[in-house]
Amino acid sequence: MNDIGEFTLLVALATALYGCVAYVMSARGNRIDLYLSADKTPFIVWACIAISSICLWKAFLTDDFSLQYVWAYSNRELDTFYKVSSFWGGQKGSLLFWTLLLSTYMLVVYFQNRSKNLRVVPYAMAIMLAILVFFLFLINFSTNPFERIPLPPEDGRGLNPLLQNYWMVIHPPTLYLGYVGFTVPFAFAVAALISKNLDDGWIRMTRKWTLISWFFLCMGNLFGASWAYVELGWGGYWAWDPVENAAFMPLLIATAFLHSVMIQEKKDMMKVWNMSLILLTFAMTIFGTFITRSGLIQSVHTFDEATLGYYFLAFLFVIIVACVALIISRLPLLKSANELDSFLSRESSFLFNNLVLLGIAFATFWGTIFPIISEAVRGVKITVGPPFYNQVNVPIGLALLALIGIGPVIAWRRATLSNLKKNFLKPLIAAIVAAVVLYPFIPLGSRTEIYTYTTFVLCVFVLASIGTEFYKGTVSRMGLHEESVVGALATVTWRNKRRYGGYIVHIGVVLIFAGIAGSQAYGTHTEKHLQPGESFEIRGYTIKYEKLIAVEATNIKTRIIAQLAVERDGRRYWTGHPEKEFYKGQNQPVSEVDVLSTWKEDLYMILADFREDESATIKVYVNPMVSWMWTGGWIIAFGTMISMWPDRLEQRRRLDRVRKQEQLFPAPAQE
Amino acid sequence: MKTLKVFAGLFVLVWVSMGQVSGAGAGALLQDLENQLMCKCDDKCGKVLINCTCATSDKTRAKFSKMLESGLTVEQIVKMQVDEYGETILSAPTKFGFNLTAWMTPFVALVAGGFGVRKVLQAWVGKKTGSGSEETPVAEPKISEKYSKRLKDELDGIEL
Repeated sequence: MNDIGEFTLLVALATALYGCVAYVMSARGNRIDLYLSADKTPFIVWACIAISSICLWKAFLTDDFSLQYVWAYSNRELDTFYKVSSFWGGQKGSLLFWTLLLSTYMLVVYFQNRSKNLRVVPYAMAIMLAILVFFLFLINFSTNPFERIPLPPEDGRGLNPLLQNYWMVIHPPTLYLGYVGFTVPFAFAVAALISKNLDDGWIRMTRKWTLISWFFLCMGNLFGASWAYVELGWGGYWAWDPVENAAFMPLLIATAFLHSVMIQEKKDMMKVWNMSLILLTFAMTIFGTFITRSGLIQSVHTFDEATLGYYFLAFLFVIIVACVALIISRLPLLKSANELDSFLSRESSFLFNNLVLLGIAFATFWGTIFPIISEAVRGVKITVGPPFYNQVNVPIGLALLALIGIGPVIAWRRATLSNLKKNFLKPLIAAIVAAVVLYPFIPLGSRTEIYTYTTFVLCVFVLASIGTEFYKGTVSRMGLHEESVVGALATVTWRNKRRYGGYIVHIGVVLIFAGIAGSQAYGTHTEKHLQPGESFEIRGYTIKYEKLIAVEATNIKTRIIAQLAVERDGRRYWTGHPEKEFYKGQNQPVSEVDVLSTWKEDLYMILADFREDESATIKVYVNPMVSWMWTGGWIIAFGTMISMWPDRLEQRRRLDRVRKQEQLFPAPAQE
Repeated sequence: MKTLKVFAGLFVLVWVSMGQVSGAGAGALLQDLENQLMCKCDDKCGKVLINCTCATSDKTRAKFSKMLESGLTVEQIVKMQVDEYGETILSAPTKFGFNLTAWMTPFVALVAGGFGVRKVLQAWVGKKTGSGSEETPVAEPKISEKYSKRLKDELDGIEL
């Protein structure tokens, strides 16, 4: 099986290379024979990579330790669930997984578009195949997952205990689906540049791909935060680690892109800007893989054998240079009318939204690379950690939050004074009321607390502005048709899925802002060393340490569990079981926290230490509003689903628009 | 009217005095210290001390607690750590010398971007108004103010 896996990888590389060249030649020379030949390659490449992946999975599931990769990331005792996820536990497998996802996306694009726009699609397929060639080259010649061990050992080294968590099965694939997904809009953008088809066709063809990729990247970030929260045992969820930053930056740039393409679709403006944004988004996804696989920047996420940095750096360089050259060469074709009715308009607010999003992305990028700059300039490698990002990004983030509230209520084209008064009055009153009501209850002794207060007030402003939009739509619908409030609200949302789906996504974002602000400013924690039967208090909870339980979970894993009774108002409220897991051959035990999560706050318990006399050190955090963030994530998922749902009405409207344009500007007569 | 003003003044006074100010206790000082320094464990975990859960970080925390209890300030402890391990022990760049560029650059870029966006918008708006002025003025039909206002309101609400 391993030989088959290795062989199919080579076949995939050769086929991808051929497909890439054949697609380009067929498009350039109008050669239908070459096109028909090239058109078979996406499926062959995908099939080869899929077979290779199945071979690697089989090696994991059958404990084939003759493969160095299986030996390094699995062992006989490992749960089947984690044997499946060990596939992407190390660098070699993660690259193969990336390639598998990319080839699958490419196959879907191929089936979706092969009979459409024959001027753009062949180039888009060629770009995707070229990217696959790069990854397949690395897998075949630099980091082969099918590398053998001459004398196979009896057992494997095992998967890092920190990775033995159910999030390991969910978080990396979700994040990869996001990262890899941006290859599709990137490929279509470059194809549009090469083929000089620079209307908004490529945007329409890839709009859903962009949304899907954005959604997966967003959820991947949130899942990662959730994983860190339950697994790393420090009471937090985001550490501004370089690799976390690497996943955050493309999300910000893609968000800017999703907003600015609306202006291109509506007004045929900002073509160069949108091209640049999607190219930058893709470049940032490659920058993320560069960080994880270079070992150049210290990170907890870096792979053990991070040796591919220079390959990715070279690839990144080629992409950036080629794309910039392409954009410059197509500048005359990318020129658009670029006219605005007024400085005060939704178009302007979108431009400022882009500026702020890119500002946060740049600050994050700058913080991530500053240690390298400092070392190059001063010879001193410094650390850029959370205090930097919090101080720099929080004020910019607040500006972004304010813009989320301004966007929906400011008019397209031109916002007049009367229009501003009418639309902003209610959200502003709501914000002022919130500011007055919250003031007595919220401490304002530090910068963090002032930021948090401001965040809450802005959250109310944004929710009120979104609420106003839903209200206006519902009331006008009720006025025209005899419908109930719920019916009218549902119809309005369903008939304008893109617009109202977007508003729902914004509600999710607001909850995430509120959750971050609340948990950062008002959390508290304490640590106590206790004998069984002793107790302590924290924020109205009485935590009583009852006993220590030892469980031999498997031959290699021992669990030490502390049983903690949580009492409130003299009554038993909940029983917590934080634990430490000891794995044979691992120096450090792994903490498994226990969390009582409510809307108000999380009671987060850690077994920090224990002794032979059964005394234990218990650390308890009270983290307010953390669950708001996770809820915000699900609301984002719901809103994205609504936005992406096929909309016949919108398609009809677009067709009408095209027909009208054709009537106004008839195509030149054929000679 | 005077009574109303007195009541309003009293209300503002009570409201302002209701605002809370949080104090910084010993726990907050330790937390501040943990936020400012990186963990120096053998695994080179790369985490800020407050986020680290390894055995070394526990020992470091205990050491810092004792140092704070002995009367040393956060600044003094931070300085001692920098003298011992170098600047890399700090969780964020200092705010002087070359490191200042780390703090300034994002805001400089943002402000420059802001001016850029403003300029672009002005040019775009100018183009539109400029093109309008070149055209031959057409006599606008007289529409009653009522209908004109209604049309304007409806145009404001239109989603293109």
